[in-house]
Amino acid sequence: MTERYIELRAASAFSFLEGGSQPEALIERAVELEMPAIAIADRNGFYGAARFHTSGQRNGVRAHIGAEIAVSSFGQRLAPPAWLPHQHKPEPARIPLLCESQTGYRNLCQLITQFKIRETTSAIPEFMWSEANALKSTRPTGSRRHGTNPERIQLLRNRRKQEGAANFSDLEQYASGLVCLTGADEGPLAAALMRGGEEAGRKTVEQLTRIFGRNNVYVELQRHSEREQEWRNQAAIGIARSLKLPIVATNGVRYAAAQDREILDLFTAIRNHVEIDSAGRLLAVNSSRHLRAPREMIALFRDVPGATENTIELSSRLGFQLSDLGYEFPRYPVPDGETMLSFLRKQVVEGVERRYGPKRDCGLKERAKKQVEHELVLIAKLGFEGYFLIVWDIIQFCKRKGILVQGRGSAANSAVCYALEITAIDPVGMELLFERFLSESRGEWPDIDLDLPSETQREQAIQYVYQRYGELGAAMTANVICYRGKSAAREVGKALGFDEETLGRLSSLVSQWEWRGATDTMAHSFGHAGFDVRHPRIAKYLDLCMRIQDLPRHLGQHSGGMVICQGQLNHVVPLERASMPGRTVVQWDKEDCADLGIIKVDLLGLGMMAVLKDCLELIPAHYGERVDLAQLPEDDEIYGTMRKADTVGMFQIESRAQMASLPRNNPERFYDLVVQVAIIRPGPIVGQMMHPYMRRRQGREVVTYPHPSLEPVLKRTLGVPLFQEQLLRIAMIVANFTGSEAEELRRAVGMRRSWERMKNLESKLRSGMTANGMDTKTQDQIVQQISSFALYGFPESHAASFALIAYASAYFKVKYLAAFTCAILNNQPMGFYSPAVLVKDAQRHGLRVKPIDIQVSDWECTVEHELDGALTMRLGLGYAKGLRKHAAEALIAARREGGNFRSAGDLASRVPELNRRELTLLARIGALNQIDGVANRRDALWQVEWAGRPEGPLLQQPGSALREEDPSLPLAQMTTEERLVADYAGTGLTVGRHPMHYRRAELRAQGILSSDDLRRCRDGAFVRAAGCVIARQRPGTAKGFIFISMEDETGIANVIVTPDVYERNRLIVTRSKFLMVEGALQNQDGVIHVKASKLMPLAHAVVDVRSHDFH
Amino acid sequence: MTAAAEHYACLYAREFPAQALLRMRPRSMDSACAVMDGDPPMQTVCAVNARARALGVEHGMTQVEVETFPDVTVFTRSRSEEDSAKSALLECAGCFSPRIELFGAGNIFTCVIDIAGTTMLFGPPAALAHNLQARVRALGIEAVVAVSSNFHAAVALAQSLSPHQPVQVVAAGDESAALSGLPLTVLDLDPEQAETFSLWGIETLGMLSALPEKNLVARMGQAGKRLRQLARGELPHLFRPVEPRFSLSERMELDSPVELLDSLLFVVGVILEQLIVRANARIVALSAVTITLQLEGGAAHARTVRPAVPTNNKQLWVRLLRLDLDAHPPLAAVLAVALDAEPGTTSKVQLGLFSPQLPEPSRLDVTLARIRAIVGEENVGRAVLLDSNAPDAFKLESFSVPSGDTENEAPAQLRGAARQLRPAENITVMLEAAKPARFSFRGQSYTAERAYGPWLANGDWWQPTLWGYEQWDLVARAADGAVLCCCAQRDLMHGGWQMAALYD
Repeated sequence: MTERYIELRAASAFSFLEGGSQPEALIERAVELEMPAIAIADRNGFYGAARFHTSGQRNGVRAHIGAEIAVSSFGQRLAPPAWLPHQHKPEPARIPLLCESQTGYRNLCQLITQFKIRETTSAIPEFMWSEANALKSTRPTGSRRHGTNPERIQLLRNRRKQEGAANFSDLEQYASGLVCLTGADEGPLAAALMRGGEEAGRKTVEQLTRIFGRNNVYVELQRHSEREQEWRNQAAIGIARSLKLPIVATNGVRYAAAQDREILDLFTAIRNHVEIDSAGRLLAVNSSRHLRAPREMIALFRDVPGATENTIELSSRLGFQLSDLGYEFPRYPVPDGETMLSFLRKQVVEGVERRYGPKRDCGLKERAKKQVEHELVLIAKLGFEGYFLIVWDIIQFCKRKGILVQGRGSAANSAVCYALEITAIDPVGMELLFERFLSESRGEWPDIDLDLPSETQREQAIQYVYQRYGELGAAMTANVICYRGKSAAREVGKALGFDEETLGRLSSLVSQWEWRGATDTMAHSFGHAGFDVRHPRIAKYLDLCMRIQDLPRHLGQHSGGMVICQGQLNHVVPLERASMPGRTVVQWDKEDCADLGIIKVDLLGLGMMAVLKDCLELIPAHYGERVDLAQLPEDDEIYGTMRKADTVGMFQIESRAQMASLPRNNPERFYDLVVQVAIIRPGPIVGQMMHPYMRRRQGREVVTYPHPSLEPVLKRTLGVPLFQEQLLRIAMIVANFTGSEAEELRRAVGMRRSWERMKNLESKLRSGMTANGMDTKTQDQIVQQISSFALYGFPESHAASFALIAYASAYFKVKYLAAFTCAILNNQPMGFYSPAVLVKDAQRHGLRVKPIDIQVSDWECTVEHELDGALTMRLGLGYAKGLRKHAAEALIAARREGGNFRSAGDLASRVPELNRRELTLLARIGALNQIDGVANRRDALWQVEWAGRPEGPLLQQPGSALREEDPSLPLAQMTTEERLVADYAGTGLTVGRHPMHYRRAELRAQGILSSDDLRRCRDGAFVRAAGCVIARQRPGTAKGFIFISMEDETGIANVIVTPDVYERNRLIVTRSKFLMVEGALQNQDGVIHVKASKLMPLAHAVVDVRSHDFH
Repeated sequence: MTAAAEHYACLYAREFPAQALLRMRPRSMDSACAVMDGDPPMQTVCAVNARARALGVEHGMTQVEVETFPDVTVFTRSRSEEDSAKSALLECAGCFSPRIELFGAGNIFTCVIDIAGTTMLFGPPAALAHNLQARVRALGIEAVVAVSSNFHAAVALAQSLSPHQPVQVVAAGDESAALSGLPLTVLDLDPEQAETFSLWGIETLGMLSALPEKNLVARMGQAGKRLRQLARGELPHLFRPVEPRFSLSERMELDSPVELLDSLLFVVGVILEQLIVRANARIVALSAVTITLQLEGGAAHARTVRPAVPTNNKQLWVRLLRLDLDAHPPLAAVLAVALDAEPGTTSKVQLGLFSPQLPEPSRLDVTLARIRAIVGEENVGRAVLLDSNAPDAFKLESFSVPSGDTENEAPAQLRGAARQLRPAENITVMLEAAKPARFSFRGQSYTAERAYGPWLANGDWWQPTLWGYEQWDLVARAADGAVLCCCAQRDLMHGGWQMAALYD
């Protein structure tokens, strides 16, 4: 490299809609230009800094860290003069600050936090939007809590507010260790020059030197081939000379390559909510703000001595790197006389007694004691005792509050975690490998994820952490919301001036399947939406949509990831306010935090935990039996149900793929379930492990081992390596790796880019195997196995944790169907199936499900006792779509207070909160049928239409001649079909007969079979079947095949659609609610599929049912 | 005295945009045709003919979707052809009765003709209906006709008729029975009413009419009563006949071809007087006058004059027309003159007591007309800058009375003045080290002594009109020693150098 220039001013797309390239793209471009260093300065934060730094490290480019800070005290930033037509909104001027030292970095973090936190109410628009979006995405239509979401989203939208800005006093407080540039177009100098000429400009620069010190202010010049800018540059040079300040050239980079100016212009239009055609002067004048080659910059600033040379000098001053964060995990406060380790040891010893005492197995207990000792030594050595105590503390809080909590992931490998009741799996009894969780050489924090019942209880735990570590000591991790197919299509289309309706049609067609075939490109989606991609404007639309894919749109909040810090987290990373009061969010997402060694605890919501918790309350109340999750007996009836793949509603084993493999894998004991949970995953399927295991499980293939020494490791999985722990053990046995070396190997294989590291480890592995006398063929086989599944393997501990929940859900469903169904319906949306399917499944298993009845129903579903002692389930008012919760609660309160409702009029007058629409809804779904004087739903509708209209005082007088006297019912009773339509429209399900039942005779006459009939057909038979589509899936691993589950009154039938059949019937496959399928039946090992050769929508099906489509 | 029996015939034509276009294109009638409406590239189908419908073409489809069907002829919607078709239909209807009520919008044409008392003239209603339908058909429009003594019943019935049974006549008193089988969609229900009836299972007018009136009113208010009457064919209607459009048009055939403008303007003056009398009668003023001259050889010469303020001053109009015709004289002798005037309000502009005296509007108009005649229509007005980065982005707005707001103050500081050359003049430039070194401008050769730039600007990259310029500010010296400060510009899209501006 002969030219010497370093770009000290680059903004990435993390300046949210003010930059057009990813941080990585900037680094890659710097590498191409042979630039040894580059500085990032995004607007008001370090959002992209972590990725910039990581990418810089990988590419050998020094990543200087800085930010462009809005400072309100400088007044407004430069805008075109008032006499020129323009749409610039007033914004404060921004100064670029670069971190010279760790002190500077910490100061900048605090500075940003200070003004971000000042944004008093849930101020950050991005976060609220994200929460609003999250609410939308987590609550598909059909959610029983539909009443709350739109309101919440609206509330969040209403609370949008301007971004905050620093002031002089903030700058003065946190100036040390920072280098300040005077900024270019967006800076205070340019604004002052335009406002008051050179004199005002000089005053502004002097103000900066007073704040940051003479040695830390550089007068910045940029040349973007603009006349006005050059005038300002000449003035700036004059000021720099008069104040004897150094000049530094930058290019104010906003995108990596010149052509990305288009993205910046597009983002400008989106940011300003204008169409690009009318954006006018908001758009860039030219395409000069890309990362320019040093040669170009030197030529550009040849007439300004020192301008480019000073970039090298300044770069060498900037000693701070993001790897030097100075992050420290908090210490746990322990009683006097205790150290954290001694306190932890005490808790663990007590825990071992509590956990292993009841097992009455001395050998196991001894082994456990030995294991915890081993773990405690390592924990002490690595200094992690505080972390374990903090997680233990959260568990203790949950126990005190009666919140069900369970650790997942690799933490279940730890006996210490088991003893501390963080996890529920006994790693000693199950012989799990601790090193997968924690190893000495990893140099990173352990990762503990806690599953909590969703929503409120998880929120309680999160608030507890905030309360315990303070607003600046704990924060949520961020979640970067990026442009994806739909959002890109919508926002780009809006900016290019396409109308809402067209955009809606397009976004509904952008493919969301997990698998994307050759025809699932965006161009095809455009074609399907009726766009002519040959039209230049539409071609540009498509092009821009593709180019902004994966660029950040705004920052959101991760649902449960929390970071905690010793002392002040705001010294390590800027914090912002989240939408909830008292909650803060860091500017990085969880991967960024992990990359920079910031420890996090994931407090995740798991719907099934909430179901189990509800079951634990419902079962004693209605069945009179006490159940203990930790002591559920092994019961063959449960496994028998699983073997029949009768698993709708059961955690992790209810998907179509799980159902298809259950009869083959034939689970008989808990460990089989652990394997079952782990095996139907993309990893084992891609790694081609699923079929060998299945064949061996069915006795169709001999169980063999790559080497006899591996038998103890692989015996449980019939010689097929399935778990990451097995990989570690294999390496330890065959090549004498230590636990931590083995873990390093796993990670090296897992990270696809570390080929070099992998090669070193592989040669070490091979030499170890050679030393152990293994021949080359065995070695190859082992190396191949390790590399194929290390990428996708599943931690055994995680599978075991999930299997435990899966077993519990199966146990409750089989043994306590009413309670389980009630609990799962009360915790929707969750799982694979819609409430309609869950209800039908429960009915097929003998549960009587009763409709919503305003005389009986609560908001939630409830279990009822019949006179004959049978238990039934009553649907809750929450399932009435469109009934607001507070209105329902008023109804329940009125009923409790004044007894049953006597007429529709009585209902309307006693519950004024119910509006006419809600009364109609309740009448329509038959919820008023139990009122005296209501003959049927139509009668109820007729009555509420009258009762729902407030009448004047004249009509209210008793005996008024105008009061309604005619008791006759002029409306005809609903037909069966109308009732079905009303049920599905009003509640999303029916407790009556399945819609297919009513057409059975007609279908049978046409030779169309039910799912029950299919079970009796032989393999290979040509069949015709029909049903209501309840799920469509196009898994990423299935090479474009689509799996459809169809339900009828007898059960569920599975359909396989090949990619070519899909291509021919795209709309039928994706849109039809009732489907008729023709094709060959596959009936193998009790697993039944129809391989569709012809698909047709079932005519005259009017009911609007919803399927769960998995993408 | 008993009231005369009411009788109405409803003329109803579906897919009107398509029918209006096809009636003038009989050759396309036998092929599948679709009419697109909207702005490109997002046009959608707004009307189709029967053949296209049979193929599966539907309203709302886009061009690309229509192209997936073989052999569909696509037309763009023409409002003017629809207007002419509408006039033709009204004229046809007018042959049967002067009282016609026109309504309906979108892609349907509906009019109701009051045919009470026409039996003696046109025979019984059935004969009239068939006659009307046949006449309309002769115009190339497929329409249906329903006759009833109730206005609304006729409209509802017409909607249910098909080309196979294009005429229906309902005897007085039979409306309720005739309507009972019709679906509720023939009534103009609002979504809430439609939903309520759907919930009640009410699908036909017969079912609606059977509902007890008092109870229905208790539930749906007076709207319920109205709908019930509609369903029974009992709702009375206040007939609002179409008024003949007020138009200020006069035409005069000249006895002999006129070549002299003065002679022509004499005739024009006479016609104008007529127009002004008619305008005065309605208390309006003429805001624009279009003069159309029928020339020898069949050509027509049309000019429109629009002063700043509407006026009925005949002398002023004559003067304005003269100025315009002076600037744009007809190329042949004039055979006929037609004047079409647009009516406008005669309001006066109120100025402030202390505002500067403005010239009298009529005199200003004359002056402006003179200027326009010299420099061209598009070059007169007030130059307004556009919100765009394009270097020459401005538009001309017509003069208006100033509002008094002075929000856009001129810049306080002194700036260099540049004289923009419009249009920019082509120059030849020689470059050295990518900078302009020598150039020739207006026949003179210059050597650039100093060159500042390049100043780059480009934009509109998302559309075909994308542009890009490179500008240089030059201090140049001619061979005779004269110094020229100028701005040379290169068009980056089309190449070529131009002199954009000269600095003072």
